[in-house]
Amino acid sequence: MSLYPAFARPRDLGQAAEIMGSLSTGAMIIAGGQELMPSVNYGALMPEVYIDVGQIAALKGITEEDGGIQIGSSTVHRDVQDSEVIKSKLPLLSYAATQIGGGMQVHNRGTIGGNIVAMHPLYDILPSLLALGAEVDVLKGEGEARVALADLMKDASHGLGSESLLVRIHLKPMTPSAGWSYEKLKITAGGYGSANAAAIVTLDGDKITGLRVVVGAVSALPVDMSDALGGCRGQAWSEHLAEEIEEKASAEVTDPLSDHQGDGDWRRAMAGVMARRAVETAVSKAG
Amino acid sequence: MEDMLEDTVLVNLRINGKLHELEIPAHKSLLDLLRDDLNLTGTHMGCMTGHCGACTVSIDGRVAKSCITLAATLGRAKITTIEGLTEDDGTLSPIQQAFWDEAGFQCAFCAPGMLMCTAELLEDNSDPSDEEIETALAGNLCRCTGYQSIRRAVKAAADKKNKSTREATE
Repeated sequence: MSLYPAFARPRDLGQAAEIMGSLSTGAMIIAGGQELMPSVNYGALMPEVYIDVGQIAALKGITEEDGGIQIGSSTVHRDVQDSEVIKSKLPLLSYAATQIGGGMQVHNRGTIGGNIVAMHPLYDILPSLLALGAEVDVLKGEGEARVALADLMKDASHGLGSESLLVRIHLKPMTPSAGWSYEKLKITAGGYGSANAAAIVTLDGDKITGLRVVVGAVSALPVDMSDALGGCRGQAWSEHLAEEIEEKASAEVTDPLSDHQGDGDWRRAMAGVMARRAVETAVSKAG
Repeated sequence: MEDMLEDTVLVNLRINGKLHELEIPAHKSLLDLLRDDLNLTGTHMGCMTGHCGACTVSIDGRVAKSCITLAATLGRAKITTIEGLTEDDGTLSPIQQAFWDEAGFQCAFCAPGMLMCTAELLEDNSDPSDEEIETALAGNLCRCTGYQSIRRAVKAAADKKNKSTREATE
């Protein structure tokens, strides 16, 4: 192996699978490079081979099929933001994509798949995708398998493994009457959040009938609080309910991050605040 | 599969209108290619992590941070750097002139990012609000100006651009 990395440009998924299967763990997939390149520049990662999947057409674009919406993993954030299909049928995801850090430059090159497989606790797409119940197609060897995104998110250190490629994301359109919100607590416009929360709410009259809440940026992986907050169902929005949500959401964060974005106790407290704000905004939009 | 691995990669890049056919090592960033190989030093090296925006260029009409863009992934692309904003005779573009007039920079280290993002913003939006300007420039850090003069410069650039478009159509 040369001192410098080699480069491979598979033309289709078959070639990509073949290359990934034949190389050691030193091979790394690159699409937009917005996650990988900062780590390379700082010496945290040293790929032996870059596998550039940017030319593979099957990984790109947004389609509607069989009542669902499919997003290719190398679709850039800007295209997710601008897509009329996503705006009208998955407004939560469209908005969350605008909140990704790094500014317009990163939105233009960073991909939705890269944002997922990075499994970075502070990234912005996972809470919304988990709240939306996303499924993903993963290519490994000859075959593609469809799995719930939540099942991939069980172990922050594992990810997909070096032989696998995230192909596309499957989503169901949101109920048109559902209210939604993505709240991000941040210091600067293009920065990371110290806590964030995605919420989707359906109402019957003023009573909450459906509730999905996922909180991110407070622990190694996003925390799905939909079950823990299940007691909200059947209730109308009130100050009392707001306090209950905040308290229960904070209690769900058992192992908070403690980093330059804020210490653990504060992060746990902010998890509650973001969950409360997200549900309140979602309730106000539902109807 | 070994035959699919390349040690160097051939790319065809049209940079500021000029075609370059280049054979480059796989690990080279677009920033290093521009500054070290092509001597286009108007694009600045800042943080190398994609935070500061000083290395911003436009790739196929969309701004990108060149320090975290692997040049080999570009294949064929049209690239505009800050040098490409200026007319051939050295006349500043309306955007550059507006930044000059409004003191939209002090040390100018961040200028490539501020100017390239402004250029892209004004392509689609001839009258941006404060909020739209802030969103468009969110990927750029300036440690001198406090951003107020930059926001004024973007508004002045929009006015200048609209005026020159009106004059051209009259």
